[in-house]
Amino acid sequence: MGDVVGGNMRQPTAPQISSPPDEQDKLLDEALGIVKMQAFQMKRCLDKGRLMDGLKHASTMLGELRTSMLSPKSYYELYMAVTDELRHLEIYLVDEFQKGRQVSDLYELVQYAGNIVPRLYLLITVGLVYIKTKPVLCRDVLKDMVEMCRGVQHPLRGLFLRNYLLQCTRNVLPDIPDLVEGADPPPPPPPTTLATQITTSGEEDGFGGSVQDSIDFVLMNFAEMNKLWVRMQHQGHSRDKERREKERQDLRILVGTNLVRLSQLECIDLERYTRGVLPSLLEQVVSCRDAIAQEYLMECIIQVFPDEFHLTALDSFLKACAELQPAVNVKNIIIALIDRLAAYTQRGKDEPGANNGGTGGTTLPEDLQLFSIFSKQVALIIMSKPDMPSEDIVSLQVSLINLANKCYPDHVDYVDDVLGKTCEIFNKFDLEKISGSSPVGRELLLLLKIPVDNYDNVLTLLKLEHYGNLLDFMDYEGRKSIAVYLINNALENETRIGTSEQIDFMLGLINPLIQDQADAPDGNGGSADAEEFAEEQSLLGRFLHLLSSEDADEQYIILNTARRHLGTGGVKRIPFTLPPIIFAAYQLAFKYAEMKEEDDKWEKKCGKIFQFCHGTIVALTKAELAELPLRLFLQGALAIAQIPFENRETVAYEYMSQAFSLYEDEISDSKAQLAAITLIIATLEQIGCFGEENHEPLATNCALAASKLLKKPDQARGVGICAHLFWSGKNVASNGLPIRDGKRVLECLKKGVRIGSQCMDTLVQVQLLVELLNHYVYFLEKGNEEITAALLNQLLAKIRTELPNLEVNEEREQIHKHFDNTKEHIKVGQANGGVLVEVQLEE
Amino acid sequence: MEATKRLNVKKQTLDDAYAAPANFLEIDVINPITHGIGNKRYTDYEVRLRTNLPVFRIKESSVRRRYSDFEWLRGELERGVIVVPPLPSKAWKRQLPFRQDEGIFDEDFIEDRRKGLEIFVNKIAGHPLAQNEKCLHMFLQDPVIDKNYVPGKMRNVQ
Repeated sequence: MGDVVGGNMRQPTAPQISSPPDEQDKLLDEALGIVKMQAFQMKRCLDKGRLMDGLKHASTMLGELRTSMLSPKSYYELYMAVTDELRHLEIYLVDEFQKGRQVSDLYELVQYAGNIVPRLYLLITVGLVYIKTKPVLCRDVLKDMVEMCRGVQHPLRGLFLRNYLLQCTRNVLPDIPDLVEGADPPPPPPPTTLATQITTSGEEDGFGGSVQDSIDFVLMNFAEMNKLWVRMQHQGHSRDKERREKERQDLRILVGTNLVRLSQLECIDLERYTRGVLPSLLEQVVSCRDAIAQEYLMECIIQVFPDEFHLTALDSFLKACAELQPAVNVKNIIIALIDRLAAYTQRGKDEPGANNGGTGGTTLPEDLQLFSIFSKQVALIIMSKPDMPSEDIVSLQVSLINLANKCYPDHVDYVDDVLGKTCEIFNKFDLEKISGSSPVGRELLLLLKIPVDNYDNVLTLLKLEHYGNLLDFMDYEGRKSIAVYLINNALENETRIGTSEQIDFMLGLINPLIQDQADAPDGNGGSADAEEFAEEQSLLGRFLHLLSSEDADEQYIILNTARRHLGTGGVKRIPFTLPPIIFAAYQLAFKYAEMKEEDDKWEKKCGKIFQFCHGTIVALTKAELAELPLRLFLQGALAIAQIPFENRETVAYEYMSQAFSLYEDEISDSKAQLAAITLIIATLEQIGCFGEENHEPLATNCALAASKLLKKPDQARGVGICAHLFWSGKNVASNGLPIRDGKRVLECLKKGVRIGSQCMDTLVQVQLLVELLNHYVYFLEKGNEEITAALLNQLLAKIRTELPNLEVNEEREQIHKHFDNTKEHIKVGQANGGVLVEVQLEE
Repeated sequence: MEATKRLNVKKQTLDDAYAAPANFLEIDVINPITHGIGNKRYTDYEVRLRTNLPVFRIKESSVRRRYSDFEWLRGELERGVIVVPPLPSKAWKRQLPFRQDEGIFDEDFIEDRRKGLEIFVNKIAGHPLAQNEKCLHMFLQDPVIDKNYVPGKMRNVQ
């Protein structure tokens, strides 16, 4: 009466009884032992021709596969051992059948095996024998077997049973096209049972099946296996989910083999694939709603079928992608497909016309809008998956861009389209200030770098309307790293940026290097440290030299445009960025000077250039700089002196006087003062465009400034240098020839000696006297008649007196050496005769 | 021949083929905690249930029960027509005084008992007849068991 609970009860979920690992080996060993023994018995019976007994042992052996105790791995081992033994039975039967000793009703007979697992393994083994010996039965036997296998619904046992079916039939699947249309249709299924048909049909003229039957067979087997595989997920306690997922991953190849089998059927053409095979596969994949299965099977489909199929069936494949479970990594699937098709079309281009004309398989069909299809479908997939991480979305865009680049290198609009779509997505997700180190930022950086690498010409980016917009989604560091990347690319390729439109665009893109950014960190102009900042700005400085045009007028506009942008950089940046512009402007002035024959307005233009430079240098002085603008003014003065445009004397004088003002007002360090006055003197010495009335005050001022230096040694040296100003310096009055004012030279030198003698430190004193001695020798040799041997002898005597009093140290050694070298020089001069003869080297 | 004749079976729909099982039921007996001291000392366990069976009002529940609650449940079910599987032993010996060890509060013992209780409650809850008993539902899902309840069947909430 009473229902015994726990006895024969229905379990709500099938229990997972597979035992712990240490017991697995024991169980497996036991099972393998029985298999070995039964197989031995089976073979002995078969050898004696006792088929029925042999089948009985085979059935007992197969009974071991009924176990629920084994893990998938152990079950697999057992399965291999069993099916290996089954081969003997198959070979025996085929042999018997071919000898004509056909056992009637065998197909029916094996179905009386008591348990379903052995029964179906035997059915498949015998079915295969029937197909091999009577191909005409193929189609019906296949159909029967694949349906009968439904009898095993336990996932693990069912998967392996069906795998056995698939392995057995791999060489016998019909692979011929359907009968020609209009010809006799294949005979309708027989009304009687298959077993009856097998035993009764003797004629050989039947139809053994076409590729369509094979397709139906494998598709059904696939659907059933996939079902079992997915169902495994629901077996056992939910706490074992992870282990179960791992086991399922181990078993996936069993399901995938079905797809491999389909791909091996040569009669599956494009038409069959797109109309029949793929839709059926996708239907199963989408409907199973299982992420593990979907991810594996989609990748499997991409792997096993040829590229031409994918190209043609792209739309439906991608549509299916949109319908997959949220947990499926659709990104990887699509990227795999894009990469494969992109590589495929590349192959087509690399080997053009391997076989005459070569428009065969490996080029894109004309009418196939590969990019548009992908672009559209990817957009749909993104829409249909609101939970997709944004980095995955961007990496999809990365593959789209790669596709566009590889397959449509001329279609810049495709690339722009991808960038635009990415912008839209960021807008929709309300993303901004994306950090370059975040996952999505890394992908975005990649996306932004691809067009740069691909075109190797930053100007092509001009055609990408959305490039700048997309860049703006990055945070400061991200934008800056792209800016540096762009500059490096331009420098490597020496990309000349030759119109002011291009400059506006480029300087816009690299703006983080040019201007302070609202989102930049404080200090060091937004860089990690001052050194990094200097490095970045120097890079920018190098880049500025690429801003150039062959056309001089255009170049002038370019410089003005650049100047306008760079002027906004602030005091930290302009010392790096304005000098390149100024030097470029000086060069431009020279260019106009060369063009004076062709351009009658060249003088005005030169004037304008120097006005522009003047203003630019003054901008630097306003940034509290002195030494740099001073040098730039001097450089400018040198340039002006060489270009004979009207009014140049005034301009040059202005430059010189600006340099003087800077010297007087801004430079206070004594070392810097000496360096600056030396430069001013040297510059003035080079310039010959001044008339007397301008040259005189400048030269006098130099001498005055030199004598007004703070330290006596500096004064002595400055004054010594000034001497050259009156000898090799030139002006309009001297007709551009050296002035050779020996008297004033002597004055300077005498003043130098006087100041030198005032130095308290004898070491310094002697050092200065030796230096001045060198000046004396120089002018004496150059023929300055004011300088006499007597003067030199005086100086020499003075040095000789002081020299022994010096403290012994390293500096003294140097001074000695300097003095000795000077004497050596004089000796050589005396040996050659001439002005030095009267100099007395020894007392 | 008749024995191996093929039946005409209706084709399974894709939804059916891939549907999650409609009879999912999982009961865990976990987290044993021993409360009180001296005579009042006792151990109780968390009974956590997850299911998609329509007969259960709440699809996920968690209550704490002690051994005597399991005994109560077994007693209630035995009043019906069902033969109920046994509970793990009451362990009288362990409850004798003057023992050197922890008796029924020994860790290993509690773990053994926990396993036994888990098997017991899963067997019961998995049985289609027991599934309808009001006492089972109170035991699994009500915060406090009302031992003065009126025995009866659950009405299927489907």
